[in-house]
Amino acid sequence: MKLAGLKSIENAHDESVWATTWVPPTETRSALLLTGSLDETVKLWKPDELVLQRTNTGHCLGVVSVAAHPSGHFAASASLDSFVRVFDVDTNNTIATLEAPPSEVWQMRFDPKGTILAVAGGGSASVKLWDTATWNLVATLSIPRPEAPKPSDKNSSKKFVLSVAWSPDGKRLACGSMDGTISVFDVGRAKFLHHLEGHFMPVRTLAYSPTEPRLLFSASDDAHVHMYDAEGKTLIGALSGHASWVLSVDVSPDGAAIATGSSDRTVRLWDIGMRAAVQTMSNHADQVWGVTFGPAGGPGRLASVSDDKSISLYDFS
Amino acid sequence: MASVYIPVQNSEEEVRVALDQLPRDASDILDILKAEQAPLDLWLIIAREYFKQGKLEQFRQILEEGSSPEIDEYYADVRYERIAILNALGAYYSYLGKIETKQREKEEHFILATQYYNKASRIDMHEPSTWVGKGQLLLAKGEVEQAFAAFKIVLDGDCDNVPALLGQACVQFNRGRYSESLDLYKRALQVYPSCPAAVRLGIGLCRYKLGQFEKARQAFQRLDPENVEALVALAIMGLNTYEATGIRKGMEKMQRAFEIYPYCAMALNYLANHFFFTGQHFLVEQLTETALAVSNHGPTKSHSYYNLARSYHSKGDYEKAGLYYMASVKEVNKPHEFVFPYYGLGQVQLKLGDFKSALSNFEKVMEVYPDNCETLKVLGHIYVQLGQTEKAQEFMRKATKIDPRDAQAFLDLGELLISSDAVAALDALKTARMLLKKGGRETPIEVLNNLGVLHFERGEFELAQQTFREALGDGIWLAFIDGKENSPPVDASTSILLYKDTHLFQQLEKEGHVVDLPWNKVTTLFNMARLLEQLHNTETASTLYRLILFKYPEYIDAYLRLAAIAKARNNIQLSIELVNDALKVNGKCPNVLSMLGDLELKNDDWVKAKETFRAASEASEGKDSYDTLSLGNWNYFAAVRNEKRNPKLEATHLEKAKELYTKVLGQHSANLYAANGAGVVFAEKGHFDVSKDIFTQVQEAASGGIFVQMPDVWINLAHVYFALGNFSLAVKMYQNCLRKFFYNTDSQILLYLARTHYEAEQWQDCKKTLLRAIHLAPSNYALRFDVGVVMQKFSALTLQKEKRTADEVRLTVSELGNAVRVFKQLSASAASNLHFYGFDEKKIDTHVEYCKHLIEAARVHLKNAEHEEQKNRHKQEALRQMALAEEARRKAEEQRKFQLERRMREDELKQVRQQEEHFERIKEQWKSSTSASKRRDRSEVDDEDGGHNEKRRRKGGKRRKKDKNSRSRYEADDAEAEMVDDQEELEDEDAKMNYREPAGQINDQDDYAEQNARDPLAAAGLEDSDAEEEVVPGSTASRQRRAWSESDEEEQLERLEMRGSDGEVREDGRQDEEGEINDDD
Repeated sequence: MKLAGLKSIENAHDESVWATTWVPPTETRSALLLTGSLDETVKLWKPDELVLQRTNTGHCLGVVSVAAHPSGHFAASASLDSFVRVFDVDTNNTIATLEAPPSEVWQMRFDPKGTILAVAGGGSASVKLWDTATWNLVATLSIPRPEAPKPSDKNSSKKFVLSVAWSPDGKRLACGSMDGTISVFDVGRAKFLHHLEGHFMPVRTLAYSPTEPRLLFSASDDAHVHMYDAEGKTLIGALSGHASWVLSVDVSPDGAAIATGSSDRTVRLWDIGMRAAVQTMSNHADQVWGVTFGPAGGPGRLASVSDDKSISLYDFS
Repeated sequence: MASVYIPVQNSEEEVRVALDQLPRDASDILDILKAEQAPLDLWLIIAREYFKQGKLEQFRQILEEGSSPEIDEYYADVRYERIAILNALGAYYSYLGKIETKQREKEEHFILATQYYNKASRIDMHEPSTWVGKGQLLLAKGEVEQAFAAFKIVLDGDCDNVPALLGQACVQFNRGRYSESLDLYKRALQVYPSCPAAVRLGIGLCRYKLGQFEKARQAFQRLDPENVEALVALAIMGLNTYEATGIRKGMEKMQRAFEIYPYCAMALNYLANHFFFTGQHFLVEQLTETALAVSNHGPTKSHSYYNLARSYHSKGDYEKAGLYYMASVKEVNKPHEFVFPYYGLGQVQLKLGDFKSALSNFEKVMEVYPDNCETLKVLGHIYVQLGQTEKAQEFMRKATKIDPRDAQAFLDLGELLISSDAVAALDALKTARMLLKKGGRETPIEVLNNLGVLHFERGEFELAQQTFREALGDGIWLAFIDGKENSPPVDASTSILLYKDTHLFQQLEKEGHVVDLPWNKVTTLFNMARLLEQLHNTETASTLYRLILFKYPEYIDAYLRLAAIAKARNNIQLSIELVNDALKVNGKCPNVLSMLGDLELKNDDWVKAKETFRAASEASEGKDSYDTLSLGNWNYFAAVRNEKRNPKLEATHLEKAKELYTKVLGQHSANLYAANGAGVVFAEKGHFDVSKDIFTQVQEAASGGIFVQMPDVWINLAHVYFALGNFSLAVKMYQNCLRKFFYNTDSQILLYLARTHYEAEQWQDCKKTLLRAIHLAPSNYALRFDVGVVMQKFSALTLQKEKRTADEVRLTVSELGNAVRVFKQLSASAASNLHFYGFDEKKIDTHVEYCKHLIEAARVHLKNAEHEEQKNRHKQEALRQMALAEEARRKAEEQRKFQLERRMREDELKQVRQQEEHFERIKEQWKSSTSASKRRDRSEVDDEDGGHNEKRRRKGGKRRKKDKNSRSRYEADDAEAEMVDDQEELEDEDAKMNYREPAGQINDQDDYAEQNARDPLAAAGLEDSDAEEEVVPGSTASRQRRAWSESDEEEQLERLEMRGSDGEVREDGRQDEEGEINDDD
């Protein structure tokens, strides 16, 4: 497996680019790349030349997360002011504005069927689930508090939820928190199942393998990526190699590789079978906040976004 | 049988004396000789016969009688025989003197001999044989030049005088003129072909000296096979061939010589030498002792002593060997003659630890052989022992230059250089390795290890890895390094024990793999793991550390590294467990205790940490600066941590901290961490200039070297710049630090940066910086509060501005909206633990209220601004209209004039043409048209004027109003006038509050933990350092501690550094290696 640079756009945004995802293709257009930035805008790009399609404004305080519905028709973007804006990808019409105070908004993910939007709720120690038809809050998956929290401690911030991931069948949802624990929920019963330990620093991104439903990857500030059997509660392996925080992780559509973006300014490609990094891309000049593989069925693509205001597109083969 | 006949006086008869039947008592013969007045030649013959028979006493008796004054008188005319007798006596005493070993007797003999020769000369001073005798005597006395003169006299008279030729040959030989000597010997042989063996011996020796070995050998061989000297000479020649057969033959000859004559010192020495090499030390001693007894020849004795000393030396009896070497040296006048005993003596002295004496002896050897590699190397070693590294290097360098193929010399040089010049050391070791490879020898693992470490230190990780791999060779570790074996899955709830797990190895053993680790590879494996850590391959590194521990559970450093890895991953519990495991191995290891102290600090176990540091300090007997430093830092934290600062306590702690830092600096003047600490204390006391200098120096010193990472000093320096009001420099410094050391991930430094932007009134930069910080540390609500404050401050300032556009005001309103949202969210989401961040709902409410207030005000401002804008638009529109109207008017006028003219012309024409015909009708028509146009003109002008006036008036009014109510800028006729005034007031008030609050606020923010209420200036200066140090409960200790944690991570490295000589910051692994090297040695 190999990455080859296709296109890089310097100053794609006016400020750090913090979030990215692919919008799946629809009947009328191909897949698009969606990016969100500290400059309070969300931009849509057309591959492979990364032509700017549209710039969406309306957010305040920096866009921290973007998510695209599996249908490719609409997408969501969220900013530090804890508003989620759901919009039509092609027209930019606002479909809904979501907020669930006092919960903040961090990572968001649509479930594989597209019926639910999961939103990491930060300090509320919970994941909020929104119905994508009615845009009502349908459930709050809360992480149970430890039995005897020390009142004088900053403990309460420890279950601060940063990241979410859906299992490929949509039955499980995992969320990662500031203290490094990962919590696994049964979505159907809205029930907390168990914790996955191993990290002791923030887990900023989680990703399930699309091919092996139990395999979960976690990217943490401890510079490691862990491979968990999310059902069997076991740590299968740890991948080390990044020099600083691992900010994001994504699994390739065929499940054979993962890509990671790190504060050490690199994008790494890992072979799951070998459990080793096979390639390191150093084209970014600052932290790489997001990596995302193109949708299944399309050409093998990987995109990365960075604090250096640029976005990069690679061919993945 | 030969006999002599003594003629009987006065008769024809003769007395026959059989020479082989000479009476024992020489008196009998003498009586006969005297009685018969026998001719003197008979006396001589008989005396010579006695001499030949070895009856020296009788010989002397006869000759003495024959040279007595009576005889002189009686045989006064028989000159030649008398001279012959005297010469015989002279020769006899010369010989005695020559062989006599005692100096006094020797002299006496020589005196006697001189007397006889002089007597002979008195009889006939031209007699050649007397001169020859004299020459021999002088030779024996060692007066070569005088001997030369004596022989020359003879040879001038008779150039074929054989004895003189031989004598002169001997003289020339002794003068070192071998070819002249050879010529003389040859002449002698030609003149007298049957001359004694000595001549051929002389020829042989001359040829030998001239390097004509083959001819020399022939000369020797022509001699009597029983001739000892010839045998010895041949033997030596054989030995000097350095070939087995030659040596064997030589030895045989030597043995033969020994059998013939067991008292030839030279033969004895050579035999001893031989038996030394064959290891028969008993024989060596016997032979040399005999040699010593029979010889008083200095060089020979020296040789004998040397043989003896060597024998003892090789047996390990250094005392005796030393004594004999000494004796040998004493017999040598100049080291040039025989240098070996100096070398031996030096070796023995070196062995006995007497470096100074050894040094002087080896230096003597150096004088003789200035290019001897062995000696150079030995001298190098001695200088190392004497601590004179530079001289040592000099010698080693010379040795490597002289013999660039001596791998050992390069190895030694490399090892010497490791501590001073890593680059040169690397080169030397590389050369050594290459030489070893060329020579087909294997490079020792220690050397490869050192090479690897040197590469490692220079940041050449790739090379380091290759070298370590080569050093390690094949083994189970390769499976881990290459990632062929991975840790088995572990229960995710017990993963806190991750780095203690040795299950993997047990599993491998069960599967039949050999999990083995030779002891001499442990260090290299450890270094390999260290390297992998540096390359961020932490997982493999941890596996290797665990492998080491699996096999060598006492290897403390491996525990510490694992603990450091766990700590870096924030797995404090595991880290503490690992450290405790290490403590089980050695409860008094200062390194381990220091690590434990750090972990306890990280866990906020202040009292425990202090105790641990104390224990560590005791364990190292105060020699370990790391512990002292830790204690210093502890005191510093203690000084600034207390929320309600107690000035007295603070001063005490600071003083104590300073004392401890100073102590470390006293021990190791180059300790960066101590210097940094001292700088912090100075800054804390407000001596910014001093601290700036210190920090700058530390920063300079800390740049370079991969093991020194001191972001703290950058931050401290930035703090100082900040405190001195140099915001732009502070910003740069913070940013550089973030990028250089933290991959821009440290939200705390971003906070410092934001604070600097705030002070520099760069609001947007400040806001963006804070937003980045929030993104990095989402759960730090203080940052959100700060963003709120910044937006509020920015808005308030915008509203206070004299001139602002509606857009600005609009932006302000939206910013205020955001601020309100931020504050509200804060009070809602983090309600339970707000007090951690130093604010509470009340405070937030105040801010919310204030912001809302501002929004209200802003709305009014906005309205006005918009209103004004609209007015401006209107005005512009009016102006535009006016301009258009004017244009139209002008055009109309022109048109009119044109028409008028035309009409006038027409009129004229008409007048001319129709004046008379249509007079009445034309007149009426003309009248009406003029009046209409006039009226229109008038109205237009009026309109214009009115518009202008009105506008002017309005403007003027406005200005006046402004003057009246200078700040409000609101029209008095507005119904809201009063309210606006109120608001003005409020705004002012708020502005004040603004002024006070956010300033204080951000200060607090910097370190909410501390919540001190100092005046902003002091805060500006000191807070940061506090903030820095003080991230106490997880917050403040950070920066300073971070440096340590950094160091902890390099725990072992750093520890070594501290322990190492000057606390330079570079040691680490290498010193470890050095230790290893020594071990291996």
